[in-house]
Amino acid sequence: MSVAWVGSQAVPLSDAIQHAAKLLASSRCPVISFDADVHGTRSVIALAEKLGAAYDHVRGRELLNEIALFTQYGGMFTTPGEVRRRADLIVVIGDIPASHHDMILSWASAPADLTGKQSRSWFHLKANRPSGDTGMNKHALKVGAVSLSAEGASLGAAVALLRAGLAGKRTAIPLANLDSLKTALADAEFPVFVFSGNPEEPTSLAMLQGLVSDLNRSKRASSLFLPSDDAAWGAVLTSVWMTGFPPRTGFPNGAPVYDPQRWDIQRMLREKEADLHLWISASDGASLSKRGKIPLVALARTRNPVRSAAVTICVAAPGIDHDSVIYSSRIGTFRAERASAPSDMPEIAGVIRQLSEALPC
Amino acid sequence: MLIRLTGGEIIDPVNGQSGKRDLWIQDGFIVDKPEGERADKTYDLSGCIVMAGAIDIHSHIGGGNVNTARLLLPEQHAAHLPRPADTPLSNAGWSTFTTGCLYAQMGFTTVVEPAMSPYNALHTHLELADIPIIDKATLTILGNDDFLLSLIRDKTSSDMMDDYVAWTLASTHSLGVKVINAGAAAAFKENVRAFSFDDVVPAYGVSSRKIVKTLQASVNRLGVPHPLHVHANNLGIAGSADTASVTIDATEGVPLHLAHLQFYGYGTEGKRKFSSEAARLAEQVNNNPDVTIDVGQVMFGQTVTISSDITRQFLAIGNANPKKTVIIDGDGNGGGIVPYRYKKNFYGSLQWAVGLELFLLIDDPWRVFFTTDHPNGAPFTSYPELFELLMSRDARDAKTAELNASALELTTLGSLRREYTLDEIAIMTRAAPARLLGLKDRGHLGSGAIADIAVYRRGRDIAGMFREAALVFKNGELVVENGKVVHLRWGKALRLKPTPDKAMVRRMQAYHEERYGLSLDWFTFPDSAIQRDEPFAEVSCSS
Repeated sequence: MSVAWVGSQAVPLSDAIQHAAKLLASSRCPVISFDADVHGTRSVIALAEKLGAAYDHVRGRELLNEIALFTQYGGMFTTPGEVRRRADLIVVIGDIPASHHDMILSWASAPADLTGKQSRSWFHLKANRPSGDTGMNKHALKVGAVSLSAEGASLGAAVALLRAGLAGKRTAIPLANLDSLKTALADAEFPVFVFSGNPEEPTSLAMLQGLVSDLNRSKRASSLFLPSDDAAWGAVLTSVWMTGFPPRTGFPNGAPVYDPQRWDIQRMLREKEADLHLWISASDGASLSKRGKIPLVALARTRNPVRSAAVTICVAAPGIDHDSVIYSSRIGTFRAERASAPSDMPEIAGVIRQLSEALPC
Repeated sequence: MLIRLTGGEIIDPVNGQSGKRDLWIQDGFIVDKPEGERADKTYDLSGCIVMAGAIDIHSHIGGGNVNTARLLLPEQHAAHLPRPADTPLSNAGWSTFTTGCLYAQMGFTTVVEPAMSPYNALHTHLELADIPIIDKATLTILGNDDFLLSLIRDKTSSDMMDDYVAWTLASTHSLGVKVINAGAAAAFKENVRAFSFDDVVPAYGVSSRKIVKTLQASVNRLGVPHPLHVHANNLGIAGSADTASVTIDATEGVPLHLAHLQFYGYGTEGKRKFSSEAARLAEQVNNNPDVTIDVGQVMFGQTVTISSDITRQFLAIGNANPKKTVIIDGDGNGGGIVPYRYKKNFYGSLQWAVGLELFLLIDDPWRVFFTTDHPNGAPFTSYPELFELLMSRDARDAKTAELNASALELTTLGSLRREYTLDEIAIMTRAAPARLLGLKDRGHLGSGAIADIAVYRRGRDIAGMFREAALVFKNGELVVENGKVVHLRWGKALRLKPTPDKAMVRRMQAYHEERYGLSLDWFTFPDSAIQRDEPFAEVSCSS
């Protein structure tokens, strides 16, 4: 079975590596989009440094607001374990990615043993306008969450109304069931607001943290951040310890420089600042669109060459084909994961290492 | 390869052989002069002093809280690139890579991350594995976790307590145990905002004192070389000296290490009700051979405080500079990130003086350790200036002239004329840390030691001498030359490896399945998860 192609021609892996290395070495402005586990991310960043390239996660657009919450505001956070064991009141903020739903539902059947309570109260703050639904509305009903919303209010507006309402301020639009929440909050020992990124209204994340801060003046409260994508958040954390910065970092003069606008890879491709695109993802659902005539080197979990790619190399999926280390929102940190279906496909980190070694010094 | 270092002045208090002599290195170790063999490489170290590689016992260099601080403050890293001398955290060593390089350039070859949350152990070790050149180690935090507090509440046997501590050490791959504001983080989750040594965690009915004494005894029984590492209650507040004092008194014949004592050196005298109690604490330390301390010296400028003392960090939010913070109610301790700028005002001047008083008033350099509690008191890159302050009265006097006079009047600093000798520096930063941590293979220059060697060019500029080592060898490999890294290598994380009791493993499995709905392997990891060749090295327990 072939694992490497130059154009549409199957070649030995070493030949594909050599060809890709030549393209990378001759590029004036290579850019890297990637989606990998911790070890893949480590190798990608090391390669970017060697090339003087810029890198971003393939879900960099979704990460922007989640990263900005930390780089610009901060906040008060807790862990999924504490939510399960201590939170006697849970307020779900808007839509939460489907990958987290099982965990949220599992809390409903687990006692908050650290507060000695057998049950907990649920609320769901949501936008009062049509929006994509991941199924969170259905799950909220299932756990008996009281709905909080206001006529015509977006999620960001609803968060603002909630903060104002809890602070006793008058608002132009009433938030339905606010009094129920006030009563529940008065009784709660450790309320937690569960949220994910809100790409349309980034300031709503800061507003929510303001609300949590308000509550902590006199009682305890916290929030649980559930990233839009666990693997992407793991890449953020890895990038931060390796370079000091999240993705959308480049090495223009050897040292890392973080700039979410300047190193927006899609923008660089669109505006033809980049002259080579190295795209890396072993996710089955990952979509890749080649940008114009900019040469593409693709590392993908594929049986066939990627259309229009100058070089395609098949790579293994972390956690499926090989053991991996990933970020997991189930525990709020990294975990070691055994391969579920071990295979001989080359690992991203291994291919990147070979690519790096094939580059001229 | 046989290496000869000749002509240098050897500072090696452990072996009592300070003075000019040759050192020989072979296969990564210091060896006696091989009879009849010629060196493959000889370094002429005339005009230089030669010490063992330095060991930092308390520096927050990796893990969840450190990484969150990086994420919170990208500008602190970016700002220094074009204007290195004048910007915040200008030499902070912010990434894992720069951390290893900057430590090595100063002649440090082993550094301990003193606050690893058990559930963040994998994350911490992944970061440490990316710190080049130096060896690392971790201390695991216990004392606010539900399992331990429940054992104490239920008056469980000391054997079971030891089994839990041993399981934690083994599963987190660490070198020792730390307790941080014992019980306070658990109480804070119940909205308790002040917590002292004899206060009780409401949900468990267990006092802070009881937690400390329980862990101290267990660590001692297990033969963990490093005594229980204690971050006491009431850090940073006026009157905290009383807390430190009762904690020191609680040693009761069993070793205990008190971390960053400077932050507890405060009394309530004077117009501002904030004064120095360093002299009292130093005397107490001098009179109690069971206690060791590190200082946590404050130096001036921008830094960020990173602590698993969530109660303290929550209360410090109002002092944040710049105005952004992260507070984490974690499993067990959690933590807080609060950026802070130490100014040469009354408070900053007093804190600076208290640290120096402790250094200069504690007589025994084997029991006082050189730290800034990086980055809490200052980034570790300020060490060279701190060496100069300890070794030069003139340097202290010059600095004192820049500071707040009314603060300094509340201290004894002006009357202290002691100057540390090179032998004392070598004890405090090499020999004593190795002994405190149970690292028999380093901290000295005797035959059989790992060839971790720092060579400094002797000069009048003490800070300059310690900022840029002339040569640094790590495991016999030349890694720094003239203050610049010339060779990158990967060090190891030093760990104890107690064999966990099988019944305790089963109990932990059941606990995690019942309480977290997850099997134990979600919280533990094999060595292979680090993906470095031999990422760990074992240190023996004493029993």
